[in-house]
Amino acid sequence: MIALLERLKADVPFSFLDKSGLQSIEEAAQIAYYQKGTQLVAREKMFEVLYFIIKGVVEARQGDELIDLYHQDDTFGGIELIEKQPSAYDYLVTEELICYEIPQELFLKLCEKSRPFKEYFFGSVVERIEMVKERQESAKMAEIMVSRVERSLLHEALVVDADMPIIKALEKMESYGAVALLVQNKEGYGIVTDADLRTYILHKEEKGFQYICQIQSYPIISIEEGELLFNVLLLMTGNSIKHLPVTDSSGQAIGILTLIDLLSYFSNQSHLIGSQIENAQDLQSVIEAAGRIDVMIKALHHKGIKSRYIARLVSEIHKKMYDRLFEMIFPLEWREHATLLLLGSEGRGEQILRTDQDNAMVFAEGFAPEDKEIYLQHFTEALDAIGFPRCEGNVMVINPKWAKDTKAYKANIQRWVHSPDMEGLMDLAIFYDAYAVAGNKKLFLMLRNTLLDEVKKNHAFLPHFAKAVESFESPLGIFSRFVSEEGHKGEIDIKKGALFALVHGVRALALEHGITKTNTTERIKALNNVGYMDKEDAKNLIETLEVLMTFRLHARLEKLEQGSVPDNYIALESLSRLEKDTLKEALKMVETFKKRVAYHFHLSMVN
Amino acid sequence: MFSKWRNRWNAKRLKDEHFAFLFEEDTSGEVVVFDCETTGLNPKKDEIISIGAVKIKGNRILTDEALHLFVRQEKQIDQESIKIHHIRHCDLENAMPVKEAIEHFLHYIGSRPLAGYYLEFDVAMVNKYIKPMLGITLPNLQEEVSAIYYDKKIPRIPQGNIDLRFEAILNDLSLPKMQAHDALNDAIMTAMIYLKLKNIKKLH
Repeated sequence: MIALLERLKADVPFSFLDKSGLQSIEEAAQIAYYQKGTQLVAREKMFEVLYFIIKGVVEARQGDELIDLYHQDDTFGGIELIEKQPSAYDYLVTEELICYEIPQELFLKLCEKSRPFKEYFFGSVVERIEMVKERQESAKMAEIMVSRVERSLLHEALVVDADMPIIKALEKMESYGAVALLVQNKEGYGIVTDADLRTYILHKEEKGFQYICQIQSYPIISIEEGELLFNVLLLMTGNSIKHLPVTDSSGQAIGILTLIDLLSYFSNQSHLIGSQIENAQDLQSVIEAAGRIDVMIKALHHKGIKSRYIARLVSEIHKKMYDRLFEMIFPLEWREHATLLLLGSEGRGEQILRTDQDNAMVFAEGFAPEDKEIYLQHFTEALDAIGFPRCEGNVMVINPKWAKDTKAYKANIQRWVHSPDMEGLMDLAIFYDAYAVAGNKKLFLMLRNTLLDEVKKNHAFLPHFAKAVESFESPLGIFSRFVSEEGHKGEIDIKKGALFALVHGVRALALEHGITKTNTTERIKALNNVGYMDKEDAKNLIETLEVLMTFRLHARLEKLEQGSVPDNYIALESLSRLEKDTLKEALKMVETFKKRVAYHFHLSMVN
Repeated sequence: MFSKWRNRWNAKRLKDEHFAFLFEEDTSGEVVVFDCETTGLNPKKDEIISIGAVKIKGNRILTDEALHLFVRQEKQIDQESIKIHHIRHCDLENAMPVKEAIEHFLHYIGSRPLAGYYLEFDVAMVNKYIKPMLGITLPNLQEEVSAIYYDKKIPRIPQGNIDLRFEAILNDLSLPKMQAHDALNDAIMTAMIYLKLKNIKKLH
């Protein structure tokens, strides 16, 4: 076996081939060396072989325009060989190339033998993306089987001395809200759970129980931190135990894992967290429950749930959380005379992991409680405690600009639409994405109707609004050089590079069509419904959004796990060939969409 | 002149005229890169375990015509070389007697020039068998890749020590490394070194 072929086998499309197919490649492929600057295939010329890059970079160019880039482990020439079409581009070696060349005849034979292999080369974006996701999902399914016990899953371990009187120990358990008691014996721990209390109540007279150690279960079954959750599940099921003490490597108890938490980790914690928030009696409980959302997201992502569904789930829980915070923090009369707005990604229901605090307050006209600053400050501090970073742009209720009455907002709307400046356009974008989450939501709905009416009256303003889709260059150009911004070598900013343009383009079109949905996916569907966009385009756009968001979530989770601050950068090195392909396809889709928006709003005529 | 004479002398001693092709003029335009895995480093004492060879033509390594032969062992392979080559006795089930392997190899190379890394050793190993078989030593032109590398490198580092270890050369030329250490993969890596060295004017 030629060792270099191992790499080729590892990924699609070659992984679709069976052993004999791979064997035939080994028997027919040659390794070729090309110096930088070589023209591999010229425009209008035929491909003679399928190229698989072992090392180096090849650019596909049309005149000066860079169409595509191929790197290590990339394959190209497939479609041209199958279709027997001349090349549409010039293929140029831009970094010394060592590649496999698979003869056309063999390649076509392989296509005949394996349908998925052939289809890969024809796959539309959506299909290719599906292939990546299927692969990711199966990988993630496997990953949940290898998840390990972490502290975030544990209840606090309440340890008492062996000779503590039973009643005293139970009082302590009650006051701490502990799920079980750990008893510190001379040798190891014992445990007291509800089942032991039953024994105590039934037999305390005849047996003369006095001390907690008399009713403990001892010795205990425990596990060390880092054990596979799957093994833990087997252990708990096998021994019919509901509370499992977890120790660190020195044998010191660090917490208790309950069967319910374990099962909900394996299924879905959203229900649990949701009810914890709804039943919370004080601010602290809300903050604690909200802290568990990250654990839930991680579990769901590992299970391969699509990120837009996770986002929706998270935004449902967040809505409950904001509702509860609103009730707890603000005086009763605010419920009638004020409404809390979520802005930015949270307003669009696209926030997955906590990003910034983006929120605003709308008061009924003339409603101006004297001490409102104090309450708004409280609210912001509660979000701080949950772990929402403050918004750098200061779009928060503690900024008077974003906490005022309807009259003031109406004046803003007039200015935004009729004499747009940079700041006004940005504020409008923020406001159009707003979602009223608590309080008297009618206050906001009225304002939004005003906004849509004003836009309808003044369509000339829309191109100015849409212009921002062109603010950032596509990172596809950066790909070739692997040099991104300073301090971000080998990374691309997926938000600036793609998500922003997609979200904003959709926003501009939605605004034009008077769509009241805030979620980008919903807006795209609505654009399809009003007839602006056909179903195929809408589907492609939604999938593109999904892919970009999945990449972002994945990168953010990884950064979170490494203990660094999640941002919007994606390390290209960490992506597989197919993932890179998919990302490239998605970025290309965004470019196409940008052009569509530019054409639609005649952006070339706007300064 | 001297080498021509020596070659003629070598040819005269050929015992089996079936192998006269070894002395014919080469018109293939190809070079054969080869590598032997052996039981040790002493050509007198040690035996060939396997031979890997590929042809190079122009800018291509003809992996489709690669040769990978395993030689049946009469003695036990010692533990050390098992560790290096990962070849065990059970891997040698498809192995052939050494005479047959050498004949295959000679037909494969023909009168093409040979190239290799520390080629002298591999040639000595082959000669050890063909001398008694055919009365000759390998007459093919021989190119040592580490020598080509040295010549391209020395103008850059006139007084310096040049690291001629296989890994170091691969690294310096930024060629992909392969995990497998068998005769064929070593020959392919050597062929990549050869191709690159032949294609570049100078090293940095």
